[in-house]
This record gives sequence, structure tokens and C-alpha cells, in this order.
Amino acid sequence: MPEQYAIEMRGITKRFGTKVLANDNINLNLRQGEILSLLGENGSGKTTLMNMLSGIYAPDAGQILVDGKPVSITSPEDAKRLGIGMVHQHFKLVDVFSAADNIWMGREKSGFGLNRRRYDEIEAMAKKFGFDIDPRKKVCNMAVSEKQTLEIIKVLYYGAKIIILDEPTAVLTVQEIEKLFAVLRRMKQEGHSIIIITHKLNEVMDISDRVAILRKGQYITTVNTADTNEQELTEWMVGRKIDLNIARPVVEKTRPLLEIRDLTIKNDEGATAIDKVNFYIRGGEILGVAGIAGCGQKELCEAIAGLRPIQSGLMIHKGDNIVGLPPKAILEKGISMSFIPEDRLGMGLAPSLSITDNMILKNYADAKGLFVDRKTGRADAQRIIEELEVVTPSTETPVRRLSGGNVQKVLLGREIKAGPNVIVTAYPVRGLDINSSYAIYDILNQQKQDGVGILFVGEDLDVMLALCDKIMVLCHGKVMGVVHAHKTTKEELGLMMTGALDLTDKYEDKPAGIARDTNITQEQLKAAQEEGEN
Amino acid sequence: MGIHIVKRDACPLWKKAVLYVAAVLFALVIGGVLLLAMGVNPLAYYGRMFTMGMVGNKIAYKAFENYLKVFVPLALTSVALSLAFKMRFWNIGGEGQFIMGAIASATVALKLGPVLPNAVTLILMCLAAMLAAGLYGVFVAALKVKFGTNETLMTLMLNYVALYVLTFLGDTKADWNFFLQEKSARPVFESFASFAAFPRIMLGKFGLNICVILAFLVGALVFVYLKYTKHGYEISVVGDSAGTAHYAGMKVNTIVLRTVFLSACLIGLAAAFKVGTAGVLSTAITEDVGWTGIIVAWLSHLNTAVIFVVSALISMLHYGSIAAAATFSKVDSSFANMLQGVILFLVLTAEFFIRFRVVRNKKGGKQ
Repeated sequence: MPEQYAIEMRGITKRFGTKVLANDNINLNLRQGEILSLLGENGSGKTTLMNMLSGIYAPDAGQILVDGKPVSITSPEDAKRLGIGMVHQHFKLVDVFSAADNIWMGREKSGFGLNRRRYDEIEAMAKKFGFDIDPRKKVCNMAVSEKQTLEIIKVLYYGAKIIILDEPTAVLTVQEIEKLFAVLRRMKQEGHSIIIITHKLNEVMDISDRVAILRKGQYITTVNTADTNEQELTEWMVGRKIDLNIARPVVEKTRPLLEIRDLTIKNDEGATAIDKVNFYIRGGEILGVAGIAGCGQKELCEAIAGLRPIQSGLMIHKGDNIVGLPPKAILEKGISMSFIPEDRLGMGLAPSLSITDNMILKNYADAKGLFVDRKTGRADAQRIIEELEVVTPSTETPVRRLSGGNVQKVLLGREIKAGPNVIVTAYPVRGLDINSSYAIYDILNQQKQDGVGILFVGEDLDVMLALCDKIMVLCHGKVMGVVHAHKTTKEELGLMMTGALDLTDKYEDKPAGIARDTNITQEQLKAAQEEGEN
Repeated sequence: MGIHIVKRDACPLWKKAVLYVAAVLFALVIGGVLLLAMGVNPLAYYGRMFTMGMVGNKIAYKAFENYLKVFVPLALTSVALSLAFKMRFWNIGGEGQFIMGAIASATVALKLGPVLPNAVTLILMCLAAMLAAGLYGVFVAALKVKFGTNETLMTLMLNYVALYVLTFLGDTKADWNFFLQEKSARPVFESFASFAAFPRIMLGKFGLNICVILAFLVGALVFVYLKYTKHGYEISVVGDSAGTAHYAGMKVNTIVLRTVFLSACLIGLAAAFKVGTAGVLSTAITEDVGWTGIIVAWLSHLNTAVIFVVSALISMLHYGSIAAAATFSKVDSSFANMLQGVILFLVLTAEFFIRFRVVRNKKGGKQ
């Protein structure tokens, strides 16, 4: 008798339009009580495949078996009834509802009124699974990891035996990831079967029993995690050999290009986002900024680009104060800022406009006369498409039609084209697959070798440890220290990110983030101090 | 078993054309059923409507002149609205801005018309109308920029303010109210056709109103403005993503104020053309162009050239129904409004089929 799987997908095919074959004849099976990693590059069809399990899409062809019985899943309700629950990459929660209400509203036959016992019931249930959550807390007041916990409790509450997690670790810190993995292992012991989608190979090796690999919509193979290694997995995923080491060329450093002193910035809600921060960037170095999502990175980037007013402090570029300058003037000084937000299109690009039109975004006003100079823009677009290997039908294609990696190449390409001396880049590889990520690292390293100072706000600590020269850690807007990337560890960074370790006074003679050969004059410092006191 | 919807990558031009034509034909069929129910022969009615009563008419050129009087304000208003819509500023205050423009240009005509030469009066009428309408529109933009108010609600409500101001002027017999005829006991708007009217270029018996040429000229300018100038580029970027525009160093607030002012100005110009052609105010001076213009702008996908084509067709519907009402007394000219609604609805349906395909689910389980 053949083994009975929790889920068996046979010959699943899904098309979008006539050209896009998202899933081509995929076979996937999930054993009872195992953790299966689903691995693949962007656009390899992982999420599409999982959406067919959770009832968001219907397959064009193929068959799905749950516990050995053929089923048809045409809606999320069907999936729920079959005990399949999915935690999406973008949480599906109502911000103004409490934790309990978010769970309650999806309950079948929850009745007309809101039952007052719901808080107790959900708290008791969360306890049973070993979660710690306040059922009365509103989602908008929750940290990212809490929201994720809530999503997991939600699917468990609906009685899911099979749980799918789509890139759950992308938004978590090292410590939070460990916590999540502990939860997943406990769920596995209790007999749940789990599919986890992730890009990070070390996590795959750590958590999963088996790994299934997709490439460009094709099913490649499924292997036992114990029998494989990261190199082999990458080759299956990418389809060719790839060097997994990120280069860190040693470049002669210049005097500080950008120096930040006692910088304080408020966020949109008026709370302090960045609190008396000191740091500096030299030409020819990459300074990493690590921190849990939303602890001041965005505000810092916006302030440097002149998009956000600061409360107090100094921002000195080659000896000139840039505080209070309009964004245009800061651009002209050679400071480029690119920020990839979570939706990946929000800032820096106009998604409905063509690549050409996006090329001229920052210098369209320099053209003489009334008209826009699209000819130069088109030539620039063509050059970037060739140099950075952007996959696009033409220079006139709207940016939103490109895939994530290509969008980010266009953005970075435009920033580099202007020949900046300081590049501030936040999450440039957000959501990118291995191939595209390495292309971006190469671009940044090239810039570094050309003597550009780079501020790299990142998410993946492994990457930052390999790519950056130094790493500054932020926790709730405060600097926890600036460490040399080759001298520190992930654990140390993790502790600093959560505020448990403060290394700002590690060296008594030199406070963190203040350069010995500073360009800041005494007058500038004094003026800033006086301003701060007023 | 069921159906699901699949996105199309591209739709060939001929298919698009077929779908649009089918939508319009289907709308006419629906209208035809209603006509039959009223006991009117649809073919005869449509024949009358689409020839706009010009066939077998000894003064057909007159009918075409009157048709153009409907077409010009609609086309110009739609073009003006498309400027704001391109920036995702939902200016649905075309009616109000049109009325303010009309009042301003009538004021100039009545006060200065008798003393100034016709040409000067006309230019001043246009400028006054543009300024009045522009300020009426930019007021809302200023509130949006300053306080973040919702422009849809504000422009909508200001439509009624403008309409009631005009009604008040039309109903109030008083010494100060120079808009009304002094001699008439009842409140009637004073005519200024004799000393402030746009000239016509005579082509045989047919007089081509100069406003037609001007409207096409403005249309061409707006087309170039949106497509090739820096301002036009800024409008696209702000419309697409205000955050990106700000990031690129654009002065977003200035761009919003400037564009809305321009949009409202052009609506004012349309009003001046209308007033300067009609020679008299009326409480129905707008003929709903502020509303219809929104439909035209969207049906044309904000493409300036297409706006002129769609305006021509919609005007044909409106003017044709008035002409047909003369023969078919049972059918009110409001029939055009109904038909316009059905056409809009079905064209939107056609657009759905241009973007998507409906596919039957294949039965799962069979390989």
C-alpha cells in the first residue's frame, strides 16, 4: 500500500494569460507530521502553488488529494473545511480590531452578536498551544512578530492540521525566528504538517525535514534535508553553479563623506523615531544599518534625502551642513537615496510610467526649455537595460509590468547613473531571489570600489555580515553600537537589535559613530548644541 | 464545475474595435426594445436621431451649426477634466466651475459689451470666465493641499452652490440685478447677443463658429502639454505616486494647485464659448457638460484626441434626440440620457472582456 500523504498534488498546472505558465505539471507531497520547505527563486511559482491549496486560485489541470482522498478546493472556505490554513506573507488582519475579534470574525456560525466569552476562549486556546498573546490588544498596536503569532493562532483556531507559511521569517529578527521555529517544531510534534516558503537556505537546513524545489514553474525535485547541502540546493534552484560567497573588496577609505551628529527625528505620529544618533560614512566603505523593521530606518533615510524635517542635530556632507536643504539641492550634492518599501514600488519609482520616464525622474528639470528630454532618457534606459541585464520588452514598458528584481535594477541603475558620492539604499534586495540579489551586491561593490560611500539598510544579517565593512545597529531609534562586520557575530547583532547589548561605549577613547578625522568644525558643533538647548 | 476569470495579456486592435462596436449596438438594441414598448418604430427613430434631422431638411446646415454648439462645450470641458484626472485629482466640479465662468463672462458682456468693440469684449469675457472658474476650482485644491480635504466631496457640493447662485440671479427681480431684463415684469435673463457674440466664418450658407476652431486648437495644445512638456511629466508622476514626486524633488503642492487651476480655467473657457455663442444666460446653461464630461474623459481613457471623437458621438446622441423629439413627440429628449447611460455601462462591460477572459473550469481529477 502506498504511503498516505497529508497532501498530494498531482500534475498541477496554472496559467495566467497565455504567456505566463506559473505552474507546469507540478507534483508535490507533504507527509503527515513533517516540515517541508518549498524553495525557489522569485517567480518560480511557489506562492501560486500554495494559493491553490488555500483556495485562492483554482488549478487549470491536475488533482489535489488530502489524506488520500481527491478534493476540489475552489474557495478559502473549502480549504478551511479540509483543515488547510495559510499564513500569508502580507498579513490579512483588520488593524482596528482586537486579536480576539480578528479570529472571531472568521469563525463559522459565530452567531449574530459578539460573545463576551470570546476573549477567554481564545486566550485559553492560545495557552494550550503555548502562545503568549493578549486577546484584547488591537492589531495596530502589535509588533510584526505578534501579528504573525496571531495569524498562526488564527489558523490553528480554525482547526487547521496542515499549515502553510509564506516567507514567515522575512520580517523577524534572529531571536524571533528561533522562537517561531520552536513553535513550528512543537506543532510538528503535535501532528501538524507544515509547508514553509523561504529564500534563506540556512533556515531551510535548520527547520525542515524535506525540501521541495521549484524552478521557473517547473517541479525539480524533493530531497531529505539531511542528505543535501546549501550548495546543492542553490544549484537546483538556479539551474547552474553559483558562487555563494559575497565579495568584500578592500578599498582605500577616504575622509568621512557624510557625518551625522546627535540627529533626532520624529516619525509621522510625532514620536521620536531616531534619537541622538551619531555615525559617519567614508568613501569606499559600506556601512550597514541593522535593526528590527520600523525602528527608525525609514525616517533616517528620508531625513538624509531632505524629505523629512529633523528635530535637532547635524548632517554634514564634505564639511557642508545639509540640514534644511530641499531634496533637489541634496541630490545635486551627490547624495542618492533609494528606499524599497514593503510594497516595493512606493518610493522612488512611478509604477505606471515607462522605464524611460522613470530614468528622467530626477533630472527632467535640467532639460532646456519647456519640453522633457526623453531622447537622453531613452538612451540611459537602454544602457541600463544592457549593463544590468534588465529583462523587459522595451524601454517604454511601464515599470510595474517588470518583475521585482528588474524593478530594483532600474531603480538602482538610475541612482548610479547620476554619479553620486553617497548612496543611501534601504532594502535593495527586498524580496529578490539569489541571482538578482547577487547582481545588486555586485553593483554596490563596484560603486564602493569607485570611492562611493554607501549606507546599506538591510534585513538579512548573513548578507550584511558578508557585504558590509561596518554595521551600525539601531534599536528603537537609538544606536546600540557600530561594529566591524568581520569581528562580530549574528548573535551579537541580534542582542543589540533587541536592546539587550549596548556597545556604544565599547572603546573608552572613541565614542561610537564619531570619526577621529572629522570634517565638522567646532562652530558647527556649537551652533547645533545651542540649537538643541533652545 | 463553474467558471473563472483569466487575465488577457493583450487584446488585438480588431477585437477591441469589435467589442466596442458590439457594446454600442447592444445598447441601441436595448433602447430599441424600449422604443417598441412605447409604440415607436426604433429604426425610424434612430434614423432621425443619427442624421440629427438633417436628411430632407432644407436648412440642414442650421442643424449642423446647432450640433456644434452642443459639441464645443462638451469637448472642451472633457479635455479640461482630463487634465485633473490625469493627476488623480477627482474634479467632479465641472458644473460649478462652468456656471461660475458663465456668470463672469455674462457680467463682462452686459457691463462692458455696449461700450467696447466686440472683439475686445469677447477676449475679456474669456479671460473673466477663466479666472472665475479657475479660482472656484483652485479653492478646492488649496483646501486639499492645506488641510487634506476630499476634493470629490468639495467639488461636488460647490456645484450646487454655483447652481443656486445662478438660480438666485435668474429669479430675483431687483434694481442691482443687471442680469435680468429691465422692462420685463417677470424675471427673464437679459440678452447680449447683439453686442457680444463670437464671429462665424461663412462657408456658403454654413457659418462655422470660431469657437470650434479654438476648441480644437486648445485640444491640440493640451495634448502637447500633457505628452511632451515638463509640466505634463510632473502631472503624470504626481498622479502615479505623490510620494515619488516628492522624492524626486518636485513641488507637489504647487503642481496640484497649478494643474487644477488650469483644468478649471479651461472649463471656464468652455463656459465663455457657450455664453458668447448663446448670447444669453440660462439656468440650464451647462447642459450637464460637467457631468457628461466626466463620462467622456473616462470613456476616452483620458486621451485628448479620443476625447474629441467621443464628444462628437455623445453630442450626436444629445442633439439627435432633441431633433428626433420634434417628429416623435412621445419620446422625450431625455431618451438620450438613458441611452448614454446604457452605452457607458456596456462599454465598461466591453472593457472587462478586453482585459479578461471567462473560462470554464476544467474538471479536476482527470489527467
